[in-house]
Amino acid sequence: MTSVNRRTALSLAAALAAFVATGPARAADDIVLGGSIPLTGVFAFAGEGIHAGIQDWVKITNEAGGIDGRMLKYVPEDTAYKVDASVAAFNKIVAEYQPNLYYGDSTGFSKTINDQLEKYGKAIMAGASFASEINNPEKYPLQFIAGPDYTEMVSILLEYIADEKPGAKVAFVNSDTEFGRDPLETSIARSKELGLEVVESIITQPGSVDVSTEVLKLRRARPDYTIFHGYVLAPIPEFIQQARQMGMDTKFMGTFWTMDNSMVMKMGDAADGFMGVMPYRYYYDEADDAPMLKKIREMRPEYQSTAYMQGFLTAMLMTEAVKRTLADGDELTGTNLKASLNSLKDFDTGGIIGVPISIPGNSIPVGRIYQANAEKQKMEPVSDWIRLDQSGN
Amino acid sequence: MRIGDAKTSYAADEALLQNSDQKLGLVVLLLVLALYPFVAGPYWVYLACLVAINVASATGLNILTGFTGLVSLGQAAFMGVGAYTVAWMQIHLGTPVAVNLIAGGLTAGVVGIAVGIPSLRVKGLYLAIATIAASVILHFVFQNWTSVTGGTTGLSMPAASVFGIELDRPEELYWLIVPVACLMVLGAANLFRTRIGRAFIAIRDRDISAEVLGIPLLRYKLISFGLSSFYAGVAGGLWAYFFRVVTPESFPLVMSIFFLAAIIVGGMGSILGGILGAVFMTLVPEVLKMAVGWLAPILPDAVAVLSPVRTIVFGALIVGFLIFEPQGLAEIWRRLRRFFHLWPFRT
Repeated sequence: MTSVNRRTALSLAAALAAFVATGPARAADDIVLGGSIPLTGVFAFAGEGIHAGIQDWVKITNEAGGIDGRMLKYVPEDTAYKVDASVAAFNKIVAEYQPNLYYGDSTGFSKTINDQLEKYGKAIMAGASFASEINNPEKYPLQFIAGPDYTEMVSILLEYIADEKPGAKVAFVNSDTEFGRDPLETSIARSKELGLEVVESIITQPGSVDVSTEVLKLRRARPDYTIFHGYVLAPIPEFIQQARQMGMDTKFMGTFWTMDNSMVMKMGDAADGFMGVMPYRYYYDEADDAPMLKKIREMRPEYQSTAYMQGFLTAMLMTEAVKRTLADGDELTGTNLKASLNSLKDFDTGGIIGVPISIPGNSIPVGRIYQANAEKQKMEPVSDWIRLDQSGN
Repeated sequence: MRIGDAKTSYAADEALLQNSDQKLGLVVLLLVLALYPFVAGPYWVYLACLVAINVASATGLNILTGFTGLVSLGQAAFMGVGAYTVAWMQIHLGTPVAVNLIAGGLTAGVVGIAVGIPSLRVKGLYLAIATIAASVILHFVFQNWTSVTGGTTGLSMPAASVFGIELDRPEELYWLIVPVACLMVLGAANLFRTRIGRAFIAIRDRDISAEVLGIPLLRYKLISFGLSSFYAGVAGGLWAYFFRVVTPESFPLVMSIFFLAAIIVGGMGSILGGILGAVFMTLVPEVLKMAVGWLAPILPDAVAVLSPVRTIVFGALIVGFLIFEPQGLAEIWRRLRRFFHLWPFRT
């Protein structure tokens, strides 16, 4: 009995050793998309969607023969939304796979890794951050944002407001975080440029529950529109419910991370009429010019979040950059990949974004206003696509 | 086979390294540390730097909580003070790295002493809450003293430079971070051979008795807070050089809990415990990630499927250690050592 056990143990150990010794599997000409993905932790709700979106795009690309015959390989690492773990993942993936493309999970990571990314020089990076600071090609030459930055998101909302109700009174409610404060000053300045009156600016703790004093401030200011930024959900529902109880008729608006359909519907009664900016079409949009959404629905019959769309589109744009670089006969360096990405002009995303897009800098300043329909449990478009790059901004 | 150490003087009894085996062990360890960056890949060197920073900070917390018996949940905030000081000096003054690190440590030390003042009146959980309050205040300062801290955006600093050599990759920073961490650990180990260190232990064991014995409680408690925060400040400074972006969100409360967990898992009141705890808390999540990676060829999408399981396993490991070895990893290490002392004879 003992000898059998020993033999079993030895063979198991040998198998494990052989398994470990195999190391990472990467064919020589694979294009590698590495990712610091928050699959656990506070941002896991988005990380799971991003992960699925990237996976699906990689699958579509490889089933269609890859990029110029070269397969796309996706190498994710969970980061639990911690900067040190994200940097560790970056170092690990760079050491083992030498990625050409990289997806980062936070603004903190994007800022921290920037120098290292430039030194590495063989990849471009995008990620879950829409921070205005990253929308600076001089400071972040190898990074981009697959959508509008936070300042541009609020600007799109303000353009809509200025168009709907010229001279309207606007209030801003931002969380007391880097994420929340990001677009605040620029948004106040932009409001003035558009002839809107900023009547209140409130900063709250993220996730705070008791917002009664803030709602009172809001009632005194009587804004026509109240724009939330820097939250995912709480305390937006509390704000809306208390404001409605006080008989306020202000329209509440949000930005990307608040605007996922399932997230808005979690607000319950408060969801009805909630508006916001979304750079991508929702999963269920059956527009004729959105064949990619149809394909996504065929691949995944259940609802996919807006984070999924973000991951999917990011991978699509990265792939296009690789395709163009290879077509030009250039080496796959970060600089060449970024130049190829910047050469995108009126690029068709298959309907993920409803208008052709260009990326002259580090962002895609395009978005559309959606409004929640609680009865249908859906976000519905209430504006056409608003392009800041064509409105003289 | 060595069965004991014959000590013929008090000096030998107090010695840091008590026998030739320990001296040999230390030499081997230093050799391994010196050769490590030449044989390990960049990812492992990165992890070594991270471990060294965490060891430095955990050792600091161990002085306060493990040796003096004062529970603190402000370690991350003190690290933040050190990190901001170093970043500010590096950006605005361009002073040498050593000066910045010492200044970071001293600033954090002064703040630590101020935070420690209530420790004469309150102990245990009450003191823990007082240190949480202090870290909330410090967090507020980080966020709102915009002219110095850069507000919510924080500070982005240039790379450290020593003798004209720029240290901006983990392989280079290793030569700054690991020696500094080793010096700090050595300092802490020596501290408990002095009157001050013994006073800390006396306070931990019974503060009233310590006072009767002539140990001024306030002075020594404040020294303990100051030293612990100095360690946190230097570790924060190393952290700043390592990541080069310091924001208010870099040092959350959960990071203080991480260090407290590290010294509990490692073994409170033991220098080795602080080291082992920091190594455990930093490396085990990475090792579990690797284990998940190995399963990737067998289990499709193992990273997504097993990541939540990995977190549970990490938590279960901590609970397991606390149940089966309440004295921490240091005690397991001691048991192992005792076993090999008498090997092949049974104990």
